[in-house]
Amino acid sequence: MSWEQDAKEIAEKRAMARELGGAESVERHHAKGRLTVRERIDGVLDPESFREIGAGAGGAERDEDGTLTGFSPANFVLGFGKIGGRLCIVGGEDFTLKGGSPNEAGLRKSVYTEELACQYKVPLIRVHEGGGGSVAGAGPKSKTVGNPVFTPPRFQSVARALKTVPVASAALGPVAGLPASRLVGSHFSVMTRESQVMVAGPAVVARALSREVTKEELGGPDIHAKNGVVDNLVEDEAEAFAEIRRFLSYLPQNIHELPPTAGPADDRDRQAEELLTIIPEDRRKVYDMRQLMGHVLDPGSFFEMGRKFGPGLITGLARLNGLPVGVFSNDCFHYAGSMTAAAAQKVTKLIRLCEQFHLPIVTFVDEPGFMIGQDAEKAATIRYGTEAVLVASDCTVPWATVLVKKNFGVASAAHYGPGAYVLVWPSAEMGAVPAEGGVAVAFGREIAAAADPDARRRELEEAMFAQQGPVARAESFAMHELIDPRETRPALCDWSERVQPLLSQHLPS
Amino acid sequence: MADKIVRSPVTGTVWKIEMAAGDAVAEGAVIMILESMKMEIPIAAPDAGTLKELSVAEGDQIEEDQPLAIISA
Repeated sequence: MSWEQDAKEIAEKRAMARELGGAESVERHHAKGRLTVRERIDGVLDPESFREIGAGAGGAERDEDGTLTGFSPANFVLGFGKIGGRLCIVGGEDFTLKGGSPNEAGLRKSVYTEELACQYKVPLIRVHEGGGGSVAGAGPKSKTVGNPVFTPPRFQSVARALKTVPVASAALGPVAGLPASRLVGSHFSVMTRESQVMVAGPAVVARALSREVTKEELGGPDIHAKNGVVDNLVEDEAEAFAEIRRFLSYLPQNIHELPPTAGPADDRDRQAEELLTIIPEDRRKVYDMRQLMGHVLDPGSFFEMGRKFGPGLITGLARLNGLPVGVFSNDCFHYAGSMTAAAAQKVTKLIRLCEQFHLPIVTFVDEPGFMIGQDAEKAATIRYGTEAVLVASDCTVPWATVLVKKNFGVASAAHYGPGAYVLVWPSAEMGAVPAEGGVAVAFGREIAAAADPDARRRELEEAMFAQQGPVARAESFAMHELIDPRETRPALCDWSERVQPLLSQHLPS
Repeated sequence: MADKIVRSPVTGTVWKIEMAAGDAVAEGAVIMILESMKMEIPIAAPDAGTLKELSVAEGDQIEEDQPLAIISA
């Protein structure tokens, strides 16, 4: 007597589990240009680092003697792995089995993914493709239905994971219902051109709303890259994996640890000449804020998140002399960089991420104020904008502000955390409102009554603009320093070294 | 010959048109300049090709996403 037969069955089941939904189903999936969940897991992790949990979960079929004849694995694959040498949890639906709509063991494993990430306090990565609950196969088998009343809420594990560890997810095909909710229940999410994200798919929509719409029209990348459902849009799955790996490289393993620093940069005191001329003297002319930031931050270190959502502001992660930081700034190509409702939500999300994972914040300010006009009012700009301002005002991580141009309105307050180190460029303009709008309101009658209203308006605007420069404020110590723009990087690197020791005090006790 | 519609990133007015229909355009060449929120926003060609059509004129008020020009690559 030995356990040989049992050992053989274990091996057989594992082999069948690796076949997922079967060769034909996998082939159909590959023909669509998509990877299987196991290929995805291998793609996002360091090579050979995957250690599966629950490989034997699934439905076994046996003949009369109890010999294994077939095995349908749980359609959710999960396990430990490493990204950049650091431990993490990874999981994803198997689309080749029931279209990823969770079978019993699959659902259990998907919930356990989050539990495991919280238990081991390591980042959680989800690679999504699949639908939500299905009525197929549900029948009156048993009189005991539903989950016990004492079952914890289904999404409790999602909420706990978000509070404890970095969570990054990808949509890699159609993602609907429960997986869609998990996708956005993340600190960072990415979708490929081939994916769609929906509350419910076309058949459900047609039945309820009598509208024929495709998956792409409901939740394709053109819809969701702009509305903030996902942060980033990428061309293919490989790029999605690279973005998730990159995102995690700036973050600690959990809220109890500090972000990982890269070694000091060898160009710490770089003073790019371009910074002296990058802001045009003509105030109506635009310039490239991403280029400006590139001259200041560690080379190639800026990782942008949410480029198409609220494009008037730019948000992302970067490094300053090796120290990971959150960064946001204004993009004057979009309504002069004014803060729309969407941009405000994006900024709020970034500040919260930095606060949660102990990343100092650096802002480059060219803020004309909240977006104005009827569309902006309809979008509840003042509500979302005020939220951004309040989150910034309450922020407790170290903060540095570089004022490069405009600093107007309530919105400008979103660019300064308490105790912010404030550096100002000579091109700065600051005040309650920009000169043009301010003059139009305060001197409307005087302008209308003037012999040459246009000339009077220009005169008043110029007079007001002259008062909005930074020199008098610098002399009044209303900022830390008025600087030569070329000095920005060395000044911020000095600051990053000063604040780094403070970060350990920011950890939750 | 694929046509590419160039759309406005902003609501505003057409301040200055820098090219005429039929002109050859290089990628990144400025087709027109819009004015929005007191800033001049250059509209650059997304691809090289021929400027097939200008869909707006100087002084026109334009909405976000409105077609401004068509380039055939």
